[in-house]
Amino acid sequence: MRSAGSASLGPMFAAASFLTVALMLQPAAAQERTLTALVEDATLVSWPVLEELARDFEARHAGVRVELLSLGGASGTQDKVKFMLAGDLPLDLIRIDVTEAAAFLAEEALLDLQPHFDADVGWDPSSIFSAPLAACRDAEEHLFGLPQTFTPYVMYVNRDLLARTGLAAPGADWTWEDFLALARAGTRDTDGDGRTDEFGISLTQWLQAVVPWVWQNGGELLDAGGTRSRMDEPGFAGALAFLRELLFEERVASFDATFAGQLSQGLFQAGRALFYGPVGYWETYRFQHIDAFAWDVLPLPRGERAATSVAMGIYVVPRTAREPELAYAFLREVLCGMRYQQLMAEIGNGVPGLVAAARSESFLANPAAPPSVEVFLDVMDDARFMPPLANWRKIESLCQAELEGVLLTGATSAAAGARAMAAKTDAFLGRERARHGRRRLPSGAMALALSVSLLALGAVFLARRGPAPPAARAREERHAYGMITLWALGFVAFLFGPAVVSLVLSLCEWSPLRPFGDMGFVGGANYARLASDPTFHASLSATAAYAALAVPAGLVVALALALLLRSPSTLAGIVRTACYVPAILSPVIVAAVWRFVFDADDGLINRQLRAFGAAGVAWLREPNAVVPAFALMAVWGIGAQMLVFLAALQAIDPALEEAARVDGAGPWRRFWHVILPALTPVVLFNLVTGTIAAFQVFAQPYVMTQGGPGDASRFLVLYLYESGFRHLDMGYASAIAWVLFVILGVLSLTLLASARHWVHYAGRARG
Amino acid sequence: MSATTGRRIALVAAGLVFAVPLLYMIEVSLHAEGHGLSESPLALGGAVHFENYARALERMGDFRRLLFNTVLVTVLSIVGQLACCSLAGFAFARLEFRGRDGLFLLVVATMMLPDHVTAIPRFLLFRWMGAVDTYYPLILPTVLGGAPFFIFLFRQYFLSLPSELSEAARVDGASPLRAYWSVFLPLARPMLATVAIFTFLATWNDFWAPLIYLSSPEKRTLTLALAGFHQTYNTAVEHMMAAATVVVAPCILVYFFTQRVFLRGVRVAATKG
Repeated sequence: MRSAGSASLGPMFAAASFLTVALMLQPAAAQERTLTALVEDATLVSWPVLEELARDFEARHAGVRVELLSLGGASGTQDKVKFMLAGDLPLDLIRIDVTEAAAFLAEEALLDLQPHFDADVGWDPSSIFSAPLAACRDAEEHLFGLPQTFTPYVMYVNRDLLARTGLAAPGADWTWEDFLALARAGTRDTDGDGRTDEFGISLTQWLQAVVPWVWQNGGELLDAGGTRSRMDEPGFAGALAFLRELLFEERVASFDATFAGQLSQGLFQAGRALFYGPVGYWETYRFQHIDAFAWDVLPLPRGERAATSVAMGIYVVPRTAREPELAYAFLREVLCGMRYQQLMAEIGNGVPGLVAAARSESFLANPAAPPSVEVFLDVMDDARFMPPLANWRKIESLCQAELEGVLLTGATSAAAGARAMAAKTDAFLGRERARHGRRRLPSGAMALALSVSLLALGAVFLARRGPAPPAARAREERHAYGMITLWALGFVAFLFGPAVVSLVLSLCEWSPLRPFGDMGFVGGANYARLASDPTFHASLSATAAYAALAVPAGLVVALALALLLRSPSTLAGIVRTACYVPAILSPVIVAAVWRFVFDADDGLINRQLRAFGAAGVAWLREPNAVVPAFALMAVWGIGAQMLVFLAALQAIDPALEEAARVDGAGPWRRFWHVILPALTPVVLFNLVTGTIAAFQVFAQPYVMTQGGPGDASRFLVLYLYESGFRHLDMGYASAIAWVLFVILGVLSLTLLASARHWVHYAGRARG
Repeated sequence: MSATTGRRIALVAAGLVFAVPLLYMIEVSLHAEGHGLSESPLALGGAVHFENYARALERMGDFRRLLFNTVLVTVLSIVGQLACCSLAGFAFARLEFRGRDGLFLLVVATMMLPDHVTAIPRFLLFRWMGAVDTYYPLILPTVLGGAPFFIFLFRQYFLSLPSELSEAARVDGASPLRAYWSVFLPLARPMLATVAIFTFLATWNDFWAPLIYLSSPEKRTLTLALAGFHQTYNTAVEHMMAAATVVVAPCILVYFFTQRVFLRGVRVAATKG
């Protein structure tokens, strides 16, 4: 008995020593004054210089330690900042996109830096470009940050193709008419196969790139106060009509760089587009390797007037900063100092905000930059920023979905698209106004909800667990409870507790930019909004369509593969590996690879289709093709289901099949009457797990389409994620999560309940 | 039992179709820098650019450090996962205790909870524990709680073992914990291996948790470094694919050398599902 007792301590010791090892991974204690900056990604080539500059800064400021944190990759950058602010972590300096500044200001998340600037004798506002600086001022004209780099949208031009048109090179004040004439001349079918090989323009079509055309045409997005849309006015619709004409009537334009990230090489880089744009400075980095032709940049052509839009990253100080003075000093001396700003220009980040850096060799004589690099400075007189609205990101995404209908798929006319954008935006702005006047959730409410639900859980457990076991069984029960302790702790801490918090959140209004305690109570309003939100409805039906395609297709392919691989052989072993490997890859990598497979111009599938003379499909740009494309990708990853089928097949008693064969049953009858019934339990298993996985698909649309075209691939978890982290509406996101949970619960239970009618359990009762 | 020719052809075709995207990834990783998807090195006269790998590794940062971090997190996660899930799975399968079925229902129900629901509250919890920018948030959830699916797998496996084992242990006077440790756990080796491999893959490939929790550059994991390649203005497709190939390779190798274990484990899940 003694030995039994000591042996039973074994796993406990193992767990304890494991925790001790884990505890040793604690961070080192912080020094007295630490400046924490989250301004750059550690994979950037400028990182070592930033570190060096930070050490210089430490040398100049005694007793100060600068801690540089890595943003961790562009795709998740902004979310990380939000997590850290929501968690009330001490960040002293952060970099955000200028279109997010208004949202940060609305949540009172930024520190007013004006007093610091006023007290700084060395501060000269004219040392920073004026329009970018103006975008760093709040409603009271106080500065809350400084520009990192910015870029106006310009037009890239292939000089060789331009010369071949025989037309005069455009000047700085070229017009839409000049542009159209050149684009027509630049559109050619070089090999006479009836398909256009060279396009006048490779046209960008996200909202920030489309807006310049609108402004040039005398149109506006919103009224001056940002309370009503002006998208249904002629200036706006007229610009859309012009672009639509280029694409679908004149056929001088093709799309490029439709989706975030732009990994695919575009027409311009391939030397097959005369113009490319409107687009920013960042493309020079990609294009610096072009040696097949000469290229340059031009201002955008002017319509009624000249106009362009600007993209910009800015440095700001969160309100929660512990060392605002040090943050200000670091901002002025390092981040907006000459050395680092020049470096930003040299690595092709954009136009430095510091005038002196932009006027230096680093920017003007950068070997990577185009000959007319000063265009980026010249057009700033006509440049405008996006409207500084707290909910701009949401409006942008609503408009983007409609815009894709007009310009990407051509399904909507310009006028109808403009009207729909106006209506959606106005409806959204109206809902936003109605939301104001929130009641604050009492500070103890969350803790109360947590403790009440935990007590309730405990009470249910105690009430339902039945009578105490006989003494002989008491030890077994004690041990059992001990064994599930690790699970139970984790369940409460990481699943049940967070789920309760999110349930309370779904009844609240809370931005992750606010401290956690500060949330407004709205009752069932989030759920009511879901019922009337067209994007949510689109998201729901896209997800259902995806699951309805991917799950059955996956089951059929997995089963077919398993049947093929059933009899063991060397060949079967190799093929099994080939089929299973996709299932073990990170979804992020899978998505990155499949973008190239699906690429409309150079992608693997379309190249094969064209080789056989078929027309390519714009897989990720056609609303009708995008869901099947994702389903196809999902089928590629069904390796796990295949293995499950394979294992179940090998467990079938060969005698059964042999008996059927003796009875004269052919292969099809044997499959139908012997194999399939025996497989029904694993069909159920794969069906349930596959459905759950299909409803939770996220990484693939996130990396590949960002929900587009329109809302065609805005699957539920993607919409949840966007609502919470991009549109800063955690309450709404939590409501979506709970609706999803209920849907999955109902689906799973329905499937399990239906099992009685079609699942055969050979020789044993279902227990 | 020789396969027919038709079946062989179908096998080869299926294998090729499934292998193509990955071969394509490797192919693109050998393209000349800045030339994107066109000008394949496999085309006549094309050059193969192995130096992309060196450049990609260089751009990821201190590669050995990244590898060490990733391995550390992965190994600790595996140990935690095995301890937590096998204990709970054993209790749910072989022991009688009040509330067992209700609690097991909870395990299954949590499979339906999307990760993003619990992300913010979890983050706040780790923040409260002072564990942001440490490896705790990556490891602790596997030790405590584990993945419900693996608890399910262990339960199914322990259920499949003959009931005489428990009886024998009980007659010997061994405690349930003792029975778990010296009788059942050794028998569960195939399932331990399966869960270890699944956990390896999940942790190795995880991007979300490292992104949210890790900020110090020296603490980054491989996938996090890989994500840096998404930066719009300095993405070179070839480098991205080269880096992806490097990160993917260990997964494929591990699978390749452990296929048997894998299949055995899956068989249990399948036949006892």
